[in-house]
Amino acid sequence: MPINLKTAVVESREQRLGTIIGWDGKASDLSKESAYARGGCEAKCGQKARRICELQGPFTQGSVCSEQMVECQAGNVRDAVLIQHSPIGCGTGQVIYNSIFRNGLAIRGLPVQNLHLISTNLLEKDMVFGGIAKLEQSIRDAWKRHNPKAIFIATSCATGVIGDDVESVATQLEEELGIPVIPLHCEGFKSKHWSTGFDATQHGILRQIVRKNPEKKQDDLVNVINLWGSDVFTPMLAELGLRVNYVVDMATVEELAQMSEAAATVGFCYTLSSYLAAGLEQEFGVPEVKAPMPYGFAGTDAWLREIARVTNREGKAENYIAAEHERVKPRLEELRKLLKGKRGYVSTGSAYAHGLIGVLRELGVDVDGSLVFHHDPVYDSQDPREDSLAHLIDHYGDVEHFTVGNRQQYQFYALLQRVKPDFIIIRHNGLAPLAAKLGIPAIPLGDEHHAIGYQGMLNLGESILDVLAHKKYHQDIAAHVKLPYKKSWLKQKDPFVLARKTAAGSEK
Amino acid sequence: MGKKAIKQIAIYGKGGIGKSTTTSNISAALVEAGYKVMQFGCDPKADSTNTLRGGEYIPSVLDLLRENARVDAHEAVFQGFKGVYCVEAGGPQPGVGCAGRGIITAVQLLKQQDVFEELDLDYVIYDVLGDVVCGGFAVPVREGIAEHVFTISSADFMAIYAANNLFRGIKTYSSKGGALLGGVIANSINSDFHRDIIDDFVEKTQTQVVEYIPRSLTVTQAELQGKTTIEAAPKSEQAAIYRRLARKIADHTESKVPSPLDAKELRAWSSSWADQLIEIERKTQRLAVGA
Repeated sequence: MPINLKTAVVESREQRLGTIIGWDGKASDLSKESAYARGGCEAKCGQKARRICELQGPFTQGSVCSEQMVECQAGNVRDAVLIQHSPIGCGTGQVIYNSIFRNGLAIRGLPVQNLHLISTNLLEKDMVFGGIAKLEQSIRDAWKRHNPKAIFIATSCATGVIGDDVESVATQLEEELGIPVIPLHCEGFKSKHWSTGFDATQHGILRQIVRKNPEKKQDDLVNVINLWGSDVFTPMLAELGLRVNYVVDMATVEELAQMSEAAATVGFCYTLSSYLAAGLEQEFGVPEVKAPMPYGFAGTDAWLREIARVTNREGKAENYIAAEHERVKPRLEELRKLLKGKRGYVSTGSAYAHGLIGVLRELGVDVDGSLVFHHDPVYDSQDPREDSLAHLIDHYGDVEHFTVGNRQQYQFYALLQRVKPDFIIIRHNGLAPLAAKLGIPAIPLGDEHHAIGYQGMLNLGESILDVLAHKKYHQDIAAHVKLPYKKSWLKQKDPFVLARKTAAGSEK
Repeated sequence: MGKKAIKQIAIYGKGGIGKSTTTSNISAALVEAGYKVMQFGCDPKADSTNTLRGGEYIPSVLDLLRENARVDAHEAVFQGFKGVYCVEAGGPQPGVGCAGRGIITAVQLLKQQDVFEELDLDYVIYDVLGDVVCGGFAVPVREGIAEHVFTISSADFMAIYAANNLFRGIKTYSSKGGALLGGVIANSINSDFHRDIIDDFVEKTQTQVVEYIPRSLTVTQAELQGKTTIEAAPKSEQAAIYRRLARKIADHTESKVPSPLDAKELRAWSSSWADQLIEIERKTQRLAVGA
């Protein structure tokens, strides 16, 4: 089923794509079970979502909410305001997101400012009598205080349950204020994986901000869907004579609106870019670049060639590719020698991990295991050229212990014991301390563009050398700390043993 | 898209007032007239469409949600009398969970999966339980769902209170693109004073009566067979009344914002009628004694 922009509420990832959050096995088996490998779908299973047999644990030790993904996307639009229509607890992320936002702006050389986030602070009486009046007041306050170019409204579990009619207030005030007022439905209970929050933001932007029937086309403009990473795409795409339109984070409302004028849309992580890129192609005719992601030689080559093909710049791409291969190879050879025999472990978002494992293997690092926080059996475009997991396996080989899990501490211990890595690469840093207690240093990839492209291979190689230099420090930590688990659990080889017990012991 | 617009109608009323009976007869009359119709039951009891399917219960949208990780909303669509499409939102057992959220979830699932468009429907008729107790029960009257609301009421004061409550809900949403009121379907009207009470109420609240439906044994007999009156007694007078009602609803285009009575007005209004009713009662008793 194509993306449906007629309703205000985004369809969750598990509904659209058959997303799972629990699986353990060989990467090649997961790839075989995924929709891409199974090819055309029978009418019965719907057009998109296909099921993979999923492991379901009896409890969850930590996760993230869809609403937080709305905060770190819609909340990061520079001249907009995000209203969290929620009890105040949903606003606890504001502090950390503000620091990330400010850092991101500074890294990009943009004026540093604070987030514009407002919580409606719903209380008991609002649950009983409805929170719409407060929302209306908050929208007016936002307008007066910040004079924004758009106002986003993030819903919450509370407003979802009481059925607050957010749409009608938004419609009314959009008319009155003359700016887009955009409800984003990101109730935490709607999806088991937080990436639905990305889709909720992008759904609202597609519906209410992107310019419909644009008068002009910008043939040299490429939408790059990203978060807060450093500006590596501008110099890369400049080689092809293309300009970058960074979205969604740190963009202005106008930059979001002009997405429909661009020549193409690209991403560096299909987890993040799947919905928006497919929506721009479907609704506005802006082609999505369907290629492996820009990691390692194979991915970056193919990614650049496809951008060049879509924007008619093939010649320029070949020159650039050849020059870059030439440039990075000497240092890469040195790094390969230095990293020979080292074992790495990747623990990040799904598509992103597929890319990073490729980079590690380019560097000659052994990767026998990885933890990805969810898995999409297919992306929204359903185009097999986007099958990032198959690309990894085809070009860089299988991964023996490939795990899907939404960052559960209690499983992470056994996961690391299986492969005994020399270092881990991590996003969502909460798992890093556990690795440190085992004597394993972590590379926290705060800048998600660090490993992209040709230079990215060198960047990551240098980071590994840096972090390996801390090995002794981490070994000292390991020697002096005690893990909080019982011996029986530490001896447990299967990180999913509790999920398997549940599967056997209770209903289907 | 160039597709025809689907006319979406919501029918509300107090529990037990004959809402599902009337709605099913409207649906039956519309399919009989050649339209493509879906009846969407929004009541946790999930029995709105029973008489369109020979008294049979169908699995509800929320039954699917309970049992599957991924819901294909198409599986909740069943066909009944002359091809009418039947959907039940369903909901939790009494006393647990949130029936209002159930309606929100069920309606969203069908809309997200484009079910109405795929079936190329002319009419979607929502049969919604009663008193608009929370945001969930108001979903069918909100922006982008039903355009017209009809409320079923008898001359019973409790039913009229429920109707008045619904009018308040409609008024709340009316300024924000919500559905407007088509009028009142007056049910179980068997005497002049029943009619007078309803007429007076619609005048006070600035709406209209769409049709007066008498209480009839034919309806009860049909229900006991698990059928609508249209199906069980197609030639009866009652069936003719339902067909006339359906035609009026089909032809209806202009709905309005009602003027609900506030609590004080409603009390004053009902006590004035109580006095009159006592007077009528006395007269009948006197007549009886006289005879």
